[in-house]
Amino acid sequence: MNVSASDAVLLAHAGFGVTGCLAALWVFLEALHAEPGNAARIRAAALVTAVSMAAAWICGGYWYVHFYPAEKALILSGPWPFAHNLFMETKEHLFLITGMLAFLLPVTTREKLFSNAAARKLVLSVAALIVVTGLAVEGAGAVIEHGAKVSLLRGAKGDR
Amino acid sequence: MNATMAQQSPKLTATTSGFVLAAAVAALFNTALAWARDAYTPWNGIMKSLTGNAWTAHCLADLVLFVGLGLIFTKTRAAEKIDPNRLTVALIGAVAIGALGLALWFAFV
Repeated sequence: MNVSASDAVLLAHAGFGVTGCLAALWVFLEALHAEPGNAARIRAAALVTAVSMAAAWICGGYWYVHFYPAEKALILSGPWPFAHNLFMETKEHLFLITGMLAFLLPVTTREKLFSNAAARKLVLSVAALIVVTGLAVEGAGAVIEHGAKVSLLRGAKGDR
Repeated sequence: MNATMAQQSPKLTATTSGFVLAAAVAALFNTALAWARDAYTPWNGIMKSLTGNAWTAHCLADLVLFVGLGLIFTKTRAAEKIDPNRLTVALIGAVAIGALGLALWFAFV
């Protein structure tokens, strides 16, 4: 098995991102049934969301700065240039919104959700936004990787 | 939601409301900065000169704005006066506009 630093950082980025999305979904489900008994669990899940998204941000940022330029050139020379021009350009900026929402979540879960309907609605909204934008970013990542893959495959077949 | 919840005051703390408003502003700022960097190349160069990579400078600008505005709104209690449900709608709207603004810009511009 030959796993390079680039591979490890990229997989860690995607893994932390998925973990952050799942933790936000956990917050959403717990907040639907908010009561004094699950308040600590909601705060813990919110913290897991923030820490996971921070880790995804750091890993993704490191990979983007150090390894992406070569892949970008590959994508742009292949049959799927929109994998960079549309999907990467949108992903690299949309993720910043997801990250800020993830940092906002632990702040909002400090409210007494079991007795404050407005706070509960806010936490449900923030958690749902993290899940939706996070999944969009994950999906964009898959398209970007496929853009590089089709470029390599066309190159290998010599029909580029 | 039970009857007890509905009867109680729907107020948010100054910290929560302050950081929610800051997040809404930062989400819109993030998209506007992405447009500016894409539309005006020299601006991208200025940002690159600050940290060595324009995207890194973009991240820092977003985070500084989010945390800075959050602390200011918390201290001044400015966002606390806004109805919590309106604040939630404003955040959802800002994220939707920010996300669609990015996708449409890079798809068509």
